Amino acid sequence: MSHVSIRHGWTAVALVGVMSLGLAACGNSSSDGSSSDGGGDITIGASLPLTGDFSEPGSAAKQGYEVWQSLVNAQGGLLGKQVKLTIKDDASNQNTIVTDYNALISQDKVDLLLGTFSSLLNLPASSVAEKNRMLYVEPAGGSPDMFNRGYKYIFFAQQATADKQGLVFADWVKNLPADQRPKTAAYPTLDDPFAAPNVEGIRAVLEQAGIKTVYKTTYAIDTKNFDSIVAAMKSADPDLVVHGATFEDGVGLTRAMLKSGWTPKMFYETSTPSFADQYVKAVGANNTEGVMYAVSYSPDASTPGNKEFVAEYTKMFGQAIPPEDAADAYAAAEVMQAAVEAVGSIDDQQKLADWLRANSVDTILGKLSWDDTGAPQSQFLIGQWQKGTAEVVLPPEVATAKPEVGWHPGS
Amino acid sequence: MTEFVQALVLSLLVGGIYALVASGLTLIFGVMRVINIAHGAFLILGAFITYTVWDQLGLDPLVGVVITTPIVFALGWLIYRLLVRPIRHAPMSSTVLLTFGLALVTEGVMGLVWGNESTSIRPSYVDQSFHLGQVFLPKAQVYGGLLAVVVLGCLWLILTKTWLGRAIRAAAANPASAELVGIKVTSVAALVFGLGLAAAGAGGGITGVLYPFVPGSHYLWIARLLAIVVLGGLGSLEGAVLSALVFGVAETMTAVYISPAWATAVPYAIVFVVLLFRPQGLLGTRLRDDAVTA
Repeated sequence: MSHVSIRHGWTAVALVGVMSLGLAACGNSSSDGSSSDGGGDITIGASLPLTGDFSEPGSAAKQGYEVWQSLVNAQGGLLGKQVKLTIKDDASNQNTIVTDYNALISQDKVDLLLGTFSSLLNLPASSVAEKNRMLYVEPAGGSPDMFNRGYKYIFFAQQATADKQGLVFADWVKNLPADQRPKTAAYPTLDDPFAAPNVEGIRAVLEQAGIKTVYKTTYAIDTKNFDSIVAAMKSADPDLVVHGATFEDGVGLTRAMLKSGWTPKMFYETSTPSFADQYVKAVGANNTEGVMYAVSYSPDASTPGNKEFVAEYTKMFGQAIPPEDAADAYAAAEVMQAAVEAVGSIDDQQKLADWLRANSVDTILGKLSWDDTGAPQSQFLIGQWQKGTAEVVLPPEVATAKPEVGWHPGS
Repeated sequence: MTEFVQALVLSLLVGGIYALVASGLTLIFGVMRVINIAHGAFLILGAFITYTVWDQLGLDPLVGVVITTPIVFALGWLIYRLLVRPIRHAPMSSTVLLTFGLALVTEGVMGLVWGNESTSIRPSYVDQSFHLGQVFLPKAQVYGGLLAVVVLGCLWLILTKTWLGRAIRAAAANPASAELVGIKVTSVAALVFGLGLAAAGAGGGITGVLYPFVPGSHYLWIARLLAIVVLGGLGSLEGAVLSALVFGVAETMTAVYISPAWATAVPYAIVFVVLLFRPQGLLGTRLRDDAVTA
């Protein structure tokens, strides 16, 4: 064998070895390790961002689906059949997710689909489901753009779309006594189909109420340095900051404010403060006091099935408090389950969609119902960090504590 | 004026850290002509190892870099011997594929070991700043920037003042002649790969203190790092340092004076414009191959 061919042989071995390890690291998973084509089972497919930028909510969503699978199988399954999950990893990539959902339908031949995480990924994934006339209940993806495409099979399993998630907070601010009400506000937001509409919805209400906008900006997803945004906000000195964030950028902006020595009197942020332990570890427990955020789920809620969900989650994953994203995924599966059980068949999934449009479903997030576009019609919860605990403070009828005015970092 | 000084100081601190991480990438290319797509993944690995050192041993994370760096160096040396060496002379596309695969594997392994949850390193000074009049200097960035300068200085001393450095430069300039004068080019290359990844590991320890991270965070880093080394001139350590500072200043000044929405785009536009006029980058050297194809 010549030197050249030996070298090329090693090249092939090295390349094939590393690439196959790479594919194995990012490959599919069946939740029980078995094949997904069992004849007597109902197979449910989803692709989640288990790696990449959205790996955090993706991993939590997988847990939520697995808790639902465990509980539903323990209760006899779905339509009398055991449920099997086929979950792929889309690596947070919009192209991969299209491939994954096509493969779930045409190769894995799953019976039902469940949605993925983030509006960015649900936008293309829901198109695949729509084209194949399969019900698509998504646990995240609250961008209004999801529901203006005339789709008939998509349903969002949270209480409200992104543009309406902060309205309860905005109404509360608007109605504060004059001496407590902020006079000026700043609105930095990530360029994201979920975060930006959320902030815009709040801004519209507060501007109408006479709260002056003194700073507004949008930044790109790969922004790491928030010092310049904070320096600009410091100059404008708003009473209230409403920040459209996911997670890392939320932590970045909070840290930048603390480092600069300037903090607003009130602070509302999307998503980031709902990450419980990770949020506290990232910004420091003493800096959380008074931070407000929109949240879909409370572990303490007395909603149907919530106690069972928390207990099973704790049993399976060893954590006492399920993350919001796990609860949202569980609720999405509950919505799909309710439609399947009510219709009694999965052969014609338009009937499942029609049933959901005409009915409401009790979930661990509360009662959910939808309009013709699949957009939910309920009110979001508003959370606030108080004395190291994440409390639900609005609306009053489901609150675990009263809302307090002010952010008190370092307390 | 205060705003400008504040922005300039912050951008130089960020640029210094970019310089440290990019130096390893350009060093590896300079000696081996290997574009290491896994460089960002080893930066994040450095951050995770630093997190464990801080969390388990209670060591200050920036001090913990003295533990992180040798570990990543050893990994780099091993990876070169096992994976990169067999395809060292293969077409560049093969090494790009290999290192991309390596990045995916590293991400998967980090996910298995540390999980896919966001991780943060919070030493006591993380939210504190030095104040000089109206200007604030975040302590973590100041300490991180100083550490980056020290590590870069050590790297420069190794490359210019030691026998190893001369061997590295000889191997980069003319591998065949280097072999003739007794330099084991393969061993030098393994050391360079280890050194390059060690710089990424040290940078990871610093960036881990500044920003939260997940295993998938490497995607955001590798694009930025490649742009920096291309702007500086592939293979030029001085070019990487200069380019990293340009990148840091461009990002911050754009955010302050234009819009944060453009902060990550403008530096890439600068790379594009510079390459139009200097295809070899700011301090890169045109190779004979470039002249032939020009």
